[in-house]
Amino acid sequence: MEKIELSIVVLVLIGIIVSSGTMYYMTTAIDNLSTLTDDVSTLTESVTNLTSTVSDLALIMAEGFEEYAEALAALTARLAAIEAGLAAKETLIVGTTDSVEKTLDPAQAYDYFGWCILQQIGGTLVSVEPGSPTGADFLPDLAVNWSSNEDLDIWDFNLREGVKFSDGTEFNATHVKYSFDRAIALIPSIPEGAPAGLGYDAIIDSTEVLDTYKVRFHLKMSFSPFLGILASRSSTIVNPQYAPIAQINHTAGDARASTPVAFAGPYVLSKWNRVAGRDVEVKLDANPNYWDLASGYPKMDYIIFRFYSDATTLRLAIEAGDVDMAYRHTSPTDVLDLEDNPNVKVWWGTGAQIQYLCFQQKRAPFNDTRVRVAVTAALNRTAVCETVFLGLSDPLYSIIPPGMLGHTEAFQKLGDANYTLTTSLLAAAGYDSTNKLEFDLWYESSGHYPMSAEQALLYKEALEASGVITVTLKYADWAGYKQNRDNEIMDAYIYGWYPDYVDPDNYAFLYWASWIHTNYYNETINGLPNPSYPAYLEQVALYDEARATTNTTLREELYAQIDAIAVEQCSAVPLWVGSGWAVTTPPIYGIYIDITQDMRYWLIYK
Amino acid sequence: MGLRSYIITRILLTIPTLLLLLSMVFLVMRVLPGDPVALHFEKRATPEQMESMRRALGLDKPLWAQYLEYLGGLVDIGYILDHGYPNLGRSMYQTSEEVGGQIFSAFPATLELAIYSMIIASVIGVLLGVASSKSYNSISDHLIRGFGTVTYAVPIFFLGIVFQLIFGVYLRWLPTSLRINPAVDPPATITGLYTIDSLLQGNLLGFFESLKALLLPSLTLGIILSGMFIRMTRTNMLETLRLDFVTAAKARGLKESTVTYGYALRNAFLPILTMMGLQFAILLGGAILTEKTFSWPGLGTYIVDRIDFRDYTAIQGAVVMFGLFVTLVSLVVDILYAYLDPRIRL
Repeated sequence: MEKIELSIVVLVLIGIIVSSGTMYYMTTAIDNLSTLTDDVSTLTESVTNLTSTVSDLALIMAEGFEEYAEALAALTARLAAIEAGLAAKETLIVGTTDSVEKTLDPAQAYDYFGWCILQQIGGTLVSVEPGSPTGADFLPDLAVNWSSNEDLDIWDFNLREGVKFSDGTEFNATHVKYSFDRAIALIPSIPEGAPAGLGYDAIIDSTEVLDTYKVRFHLKMSFSPFLGILASRSSTIVNPQYAPIAQINHTAGDARASTPVAFAGPYVLSKWNRVAGRDVEVKLDANPNYWDLASGYPKMDYIIFRFYSDATTLRLAIEAGDVDMAYRHTSPTDVLDLEDNPNVKVWWGTGAQIQYLCFQQKRAPFNDTRVRVAVTAALNRTAVCETVFLGLSDPLYSIIPPGMLGHTEAFQKLGDANYTLTTSLLAAAGYDSTNKLEFDLWYESSGHYPMSAEQALLYKEALEASGVITVTLKYADWAGYKQNRDNEIMDAYIYGWYPDYVDPDNYAFLYWASWIHTNYYNETINGLPNPSYPAYLEQVALYDEARATTNTTLREELYAQIDAIAVEQCSAVPLWVGSGWAVTTPPIYGIYIDITQDMRYWLIYK
Repeated sequence: MGLRSYIITRILLTIPTLLLLLSMVFLVMRVLPGDPVALHFEKRATPEQMESMRRALGLDKPLWAQYLEYLGGLVDIGYILDHGYPNLGRSMYQTSEEVGGQIFSAFPATLELAIYSMIIASVIGVLLGVASSKSYNSISDHLIRGFGTVTYAVPIFFLGIVFQLIFGVYLRWLPTSLRINPAVDPPATITGLYTIDSLLQGNLLGFFESLKALLLPSLTLGIILSGMFIRMTRTNMLETLRLDFVTAAKARGLKESTVTYGYALRNAFLPILTMMGLQFAILLGGAILTEKTFSWPGLGTYIVDRIDFRDYTAIQGAVVMFGLFVTLVSLVVDILYAYLDPRIRL
């Protein structure tokens, strides 16, 4: 009788396989049937149009040419309708591991994916030219041209006329004033402060409507990177009807309730479903009122985002053809592996994400500048980039990444794994092979930064190879890591940065940013004068000078001087800059991965 | 003790169980390093801003006050009547959102996965367990036992990735992850279970798409669980098949299948049933890994995400939800057991 049970088991297994196969074919058949029905319907519509057109032609022939012009116009319109009807409705399905963090309200959103969606659905006064190597090539968007006074504290913008929000509301200068007034007014009521993070309240004094299509910004300071800030998502122009002046609408208890709909971008947000505070479905439809429709944008009718829990499942999804495109985040190992897959195409581009090493200066050993410089000289960035990131990141020798104005190779002066310098400096500070320098090197362990443990291990190896340093690796997840940073208990720690706006102004300050808690910027430490304080003051003066000029040569010199001081002080030490990549199933075109890290989905086509 | 008294006692016992669980989670979360307030600020946070956020999250109050406030929320009947779920507080990360709302939006996905996995595990486990016991010490017995051991030992994410590679990447029969093809509209929420809701709405395409998406994760979790079921069924069946009443049934000339399934399995089933109840807790634990592997937007994914954010209220709520669910399943199993075996009530 056991054969019977075995037969049942085999039959069940066969049943599972057959039923899954049947389901696959049935679904495919239903899909095909649905496509066929759409095609037939489009064809019927087109044939009806053609029939009608032919009747009109016959009428024209019969009635002579008296109404020729009118008939021709009708004919042209009808042919356009036929063309539109026959054009396939195109959809791009994008896989990502990102999710909107809290809101799509530009007054509060402060995460990559939230900003990404805002860029597709919203308009800003200016935008960065796709593919710009420096991120400083600005294009007109909702503004057609602009100018500033010599002091760079008054900026005028002439706005594009005839622009409509997606609900049909006409755009004008009052909307620009409203958007910035609202963003600044909301700062006190948002405990976490975005977009205070961009410093709007510290930069913008007031916004003035000069004309229906002209607006003026009065700034509190001379500020050359202003266009960079205006191109950021926080500067998205909102429609007052959907964005209350003093309220991020949280009352409904759902992030979606805080989204002012009807922006002026290439797409409109047609679906946004979240489960347990995480996105499960986002769909964008082409905005019928987009100002640049005549140029053929947006290229795709629909963009659908699918949300994956990690890089592995995203990789499988692109390989299985479940998505047309995978962007953020496939791992370096996966993406290099996928390069050999003929069914997918990997797109490469510049990166803007950097990592740097911070030293806690309020106590020994890193209150001694010689020790900081010695440790910096012993780092081996190349080994990390080649071994951990498989060549997909580059060693960084300035806090400003390559390609951007003001980038230098200043830290090359100390070299990589330069043990001669390390040994001599540490000897002067009282350390040698019998009395080694000992400290804790911390890294973040919950995936907030890529491959942190692997990096830390290689840094430790390189440092200990000097023969005069002993490193103890320690780690904490992101929550613990930030708490440790704020409590200033970590000797040395790896940190990362992703820019708010693409300008050296948004990188150079990392050498002394107070929220990194290195204490480099304090006049006194533990009641004693901080020997690094004069250097800090000098750097800040140079930084402010660079902010106040549009002279690029001068700005470059000023940032180079900041870097030169940074090499002597080693308050924060640049480690590497990442590159960007996306994976698509061919044929997909129009992808630009540049220093902004913005994915401009309206340029993408199949 | 009558069946009714037994049920009332069991229900009353769930209250201290849940309270203990909740208290432990409440305390452990607050002992962990990491400040949920600091996570709201990347930079430029003044002490005033930090304090304002701490007040907004209710973390400025003493621990006992926070605890009592939380318990008070849980038994707020008015809130439950208004919202349909207990007041589990606001998320400490997404401060505008109710934890109850978040949890109840994620729970149907986990429940659907759990139900289908349990069905698969039970069918495979019981059938193979019976087959193994019937062919004791034969090659098929060894093979089935080996299968049981391997499936019990293999990590969920590994089996999941193997299935994704075979059925998703190479054969392209089934989607590698997610609950439904994004090109297809999910069914309107009635129960939150896509397969049921799409059927209730007569949405055949939605049903097939959601079933296709469900197949790989539930097969993965079901096969992993089936290993324990196989061993349990086999052991119980072996003991039962040796009993006199089975020999007597055979002697009376009853069909082999009637003796096996009608007599032996029915008697061997009681301990298996108990184990199925206990396995539900393991199943929910397994669901966390399965959900991660298949990007399944359920409660497991929610808990993992929220631990990183030190979202105290969210984790408390999710653990209470899991606890409540496991307790309810155990209660149902106990009641069924008592119903099937009157000796339990004596």
